[in-house]
This record gives sequence, C-alpha cells and structure tokens, in this order.
Amino acid sequence: MAGLLTTPAPRRTRESVPPRKALRGRGPGSLRAFRATPFTYATLIVVAAILTMPLVFVGSIALSSDATVNTNSFTLLPTEFHWENFTRVFGSELPMGRFLINSVIISLCSVAGQMLSSGLVGYAFARLRAPGKNTLFLIVIATMMIPTQITMIPQFILFRDLGWVNSYLPLIVPNFFSNAFNVFLVRQFVSRLPSTLDEAAMVDGLGFFGIYRRIMLPMLWPVLIAIGIFTLTHTWGDFMGPLIYLNDESKMPLALGIQYITSTSAAGQSPAWNLVMVGSILLALPMIIVYYLGQKYLYEMDISGGSAGVK
Amino acid sequence: MATLSKPASTAVPKTGTSSKRRRREALWFYLFVSPWMIGFLVFLFGPMIASLYYSMTDWDSFTDPVWVGFQNYVTLITDDPRFWRALWHTFYYAAVSVPLGLVLGLWLANLLNKQVRARKLLRTLIYLPTLVPLVATAMIFRQVLAPNGPFNDALGLLGISGPSWLLDGDWATPALIVMSAWSAGAATVLLLAAMKGIPKELYEAAEVDGAGGVRQFWSITLPHLTPIIFFNLIMGMIGAFQVFAQVYILVPKGKLPAAYAGAETMVPYLFDEAFGNYHMGYASAISWLLFLVVLVFTLIAFRTARRWVFYETEVK
Repeated sequence: MAGLLTTPAPRRTRESVPPRKALRGRGPGSLRAFRATPFTYATLIVVAAILTMPLVFVGSIALSSDATVNTNSFTLLPTEFHWENFTRVFGSELPMGRFLINSVIISLCSVAGQMLSSGLVGYAFARLRAPGKNTLFLIVIATMMIPTQITMIPQFILFRDLGWVNSYLPLIVPNFFSNAFNVFLVRQFVSRLPSTLDEAAMVDGLGFFGIYRRIMLPMLWPVLIAIGIFTLTHTWGDFMGPLIYLNDESKMPLALGIQYITSTSAAGQSPAWNLVMVGSILLALPMIIVYYLGQKYLYEMDISGGSAGVK
Repeated sequence: MATLSKPASTAVPKTGTSSKRRRREALWFYLFVSPWMIGFLVFLFGPMIASLYYSMTDWDSFTDPVWVGFQNYVTLITDDPRFWRALWHTFYYAAVSVPLGLVLGLWLANLLNKQVRARKLLRTLIYLPTLVPLVATAMIFRQVLAPNGPFNDALGLLGISGPSWLLDGDWATPALIVMSAWSAGAATVLLLAAMKGIPKELYEAAEVDGAGGVRQFWSITLPHLTPIIFFNLIMGMIGAFQVFAQVYILVPKGKLPAAYAGAETMVPYLFDEAFGNYHMGYASAISWLLFLVVLVFTLIAFRTARRWVFYETEVK
C-alpha cells in the first residue's frame, strides 16, 4: 500500500502536461501499457458514474417530501429540496440524535479499550523475553482464523448471566482485552523500531512499564491511531452485536437504529425512507471523514493490504 | 538464545543479577499480556469449549440442556433442507461475488494505472462506496434495486427489462452480489498499489520486443499480481461465508419473506435458529460446520502463504 504515497516520480510527469511530448521515449507515459486512450477515459467515467449513482440517489431520497415517500416516486436526481429533513431527524419524530450519541459512546469506549490494551500487549510480545512467549504468540495468530459466530452464542449466555443484556457493556468491555489482529500490528510495528532507545532507558534504570509509557508510547502513535480507526469503523458500522444485545430503542446505536425504523413501520405502510436516508448519510459521513483524515496512518501501517473484499 | 539476540543484556555484568532480572522481565511480560490472556480465556477459549458442548445438546437456553450427542450434526447434514439451501446460497454468493469484485477491481486498477488525468478524483469516486457502512449500503440498495429504481432504469436504457430483485426469491442472491460489486473499489485501490511496484523496465523490454498493451497486461501485470489476487480471493471467500447484515437488511425476513428464503445464507440461518427460535444447541452445531468450511479455506491460504509473503517483501 505504501506505493500510493511513495511514487512521486511518475506523478510529476503526469501533472506537467506540456513537456510530456518531450519525454516520449523515456517517461512511463510513453509506454504502451500506460497510454490512456479515449476508451480508457470513457470506461473510467462511465464506471465512476455508475458507482456514484447510489450516493446521488441517497441524497435525492433524503431531500424528498413525505408525499413522495408515500407514493414511492423517487427520482435519481433531486427534484425537491426538503432540507428540513436533516433537522427533522433530531426532532420528536425520531430518536436519531439519541442513536448518534449511543454510537459515539460505544465507539469511543471501544477505541479507547483497544488502544490501551493492544499497545501494552503488542509491546510485550515484541520486546520482553519470557518462557512460553512463542507458543503464546502462535495462539494469538491462530485465534485470528476463528469465526466470531463460534463464540456468539456462549458469549451471549455469559453476558446474559452477568445481567449485561440491554446495556453497552457486552459491546464495549471485550475491547479492553485487545484482539489478535491489533496485537499483531503493534508487535510488527515495535519490531521495526530501533531497540537502542529502550535499551538506553533500561541502563538508566527505568522499569519496563516506565519504558513503555515514556519511551514506547510516544513512538507508537501511528499504529495506535491506525488501530483506533479500524476499531472505530468496525464498531460504528457493527450491526450484529447491537442486534443481539440491545432491545430498547433508546439504547440503540445508529447502525441498528435506522434498520429498526424500517422494520417497525406499520404493515402496508412504507417506512419514512427520506429520514432513513438522512440517517444513512449520518452513518456514512463520519466514516468518510475519518478515513480521509487518517489515511496516511493506514497506508503507513501497510495493512489495508489483506482486506479487499472483506468488509 | 535470547542473550545472543539482545546485546543489551551484556550491560548487566553479574550472572546472578542477570537471572533475577530475567525472571523479573518474564513477570512483566505476563503482566503486560494479561489483558489478551484473560480476554482469550473468557471471550474465546471458554466460549469455544462451551459452544462445542452446546452443539451436542438440545437447549433453549432457559431450561436445562439435554445431551443428544452428535444428533444435531446428523440432523443438519441428513435431514435439514433449510441448512443445505443456506449452504448453497452461501457458496453461490461467495463464488460469484468475490471473483467478480476482484475482476472488476483488476480491470479498474489497470485503467487507473495508465497516465490518466484526474486519476485522484476517479480513484476517490471508485473507492468512496467502500467507506459506506454496510447498514447504510444495504438501506441504499433497498431503494436502488426497487423494481422501478435507478438500477432497473439503467438496465432499461440498455434494452434489458430488469427483474424485481428484492421481491423475487430467485433474484435475491444476485441482488446481494450486485450490492457487493459496489465495493469493488477496495480491490481496485489494493491492486493499483501493487501495480506500482512492478518494475517499469519489464514494460520497456516488452515494448522493445513489440508486445502490445493487451499482451503486456497478460504477460507482465497479471503474473505479478496473481499472488496478491489469490490471497484476496481466499480472504474474501472467508468473509463472504460470514455475510450477515447484508442479508438481514437487504431482504428482511419479516418484510420480504420470499426473497429472504431465496437468499438466506449460513449466518442468518444460525442467527434465526439461536435468537429467533432459541435452538441454542442446534445453532451451535451450525456455527461449527461454518467454522469447518472457513477452516478449509484458511488452510489453503496458509499452505500457499509462502507465495504471497515472498511477493510482499519483494515490492518494498
């Protein structure tokens, strides 16, 4: 993934258009495999338009009047502009504001839990020596391939017996115990850092926790931010967890809440699609913003690597 | 071995203090990894054992479980058409959606890898859908795939009269596949980055030898990408076997029963058995069969790991 950021050379030749002809025969633009034909542009523009269409359609539905919703007569491009829909969702009709707050609470607590725990565990696996460490690390790796569905039912029983059902606790607390993927990331990251600093600190008599807090933690920020982004996108969009554990509408996060609205509309009556789409925009927008603010950390981590197709 | 790999320990002069130090270090190690260890035991290992036990019982989670041995597994495999249908839908979805996403991704990445203007904008537009959370995506496609929605309108422009996707059991799984194709941008960005790592000299040499653009794609670009494509194919399959929210929201059982029956995959079935019918034992058995399927694909991924790991280091 680093390639996206570390290839200034071809980019320069592309942006300086006039001298491109002069470069013919040397720059990569002259090679047949990299030559853009009108067909290239036509295809890319058509595909980009098709992929953007659903997003435009969401906007159009979100701006529709209730009458349009009831007759289900949406148009691809917006023909009416009911901007008040964006304030209506926070009014008395829908608890969208509550959903949003719930999402923020659950996500931020989960992010804090993962950042606190994964950093510590990953550092220990990378730097400290102890008998049995390699076996433990093998277990860490092995747990990555266990599908969550295996533990779903017993975990539900466990949390039910603890009286945690219909609270945020089952969604938040497990994050304070790190997870294999994040531990792996931190461990890889720490292994790449020079060990001279923490060795010097050790000679100066700093304890292991002191080394972690004063020396490692300031250097771990890039990987911790990447972990924070992963955890945030995961919990923000998580549907199954809240679906299993939360019953009260007032406790639901946005991802479950907008589905709940569509499922509870009276029989034969269509859900308030305009407001549902406003909810969908509220659900998607923070993730798009977070991605664009944080993408340099994600690329630095070199990890978006394995995840195409897995969402 | 540890002393050799870490020269710092030479800073500690006496061997007596060194062994004491080492014990202290081990103690700190176990203290530091305790969050993971506790989490592993309480949220993973314990539940796995419990799940294995549940899968051998008949249990509604309120009364005492009744031991039935392998009966749940036997019933699932020999006497449960709904399970086989769910398994078939899962394979159908995985076998079409994952290769489709990668082929689309490869095709788009190859186009974006050319000297196109506004590449950044085009890449952003193609990648944007992958940032939309699943729940929102499914909500959007409920409308996009409506019988008179924009997707059928677009098909109409091509002279195709589109099916009534979400109202028709036979078209529900294809509808899920169409929705998954919207996220082809994930593979595009990934493969585009990998393409940047292919040495330009290879294309120059091919040019000198008179190879055309198509030939260069098949003989240079594709062979360099096969390991990464293969890895993503396996990982994508594992993810696809576990689809849940897509099915649950796009074709809700309550509102679109015909489409749901035509698209139900393994996890929604498991979920319905566990939290709809309270057949906790039976649902646990389904989860273990799902695990078996995922395991087979994971093992394939690991057996072939050397191929793609080697390539990754090669790029850097």
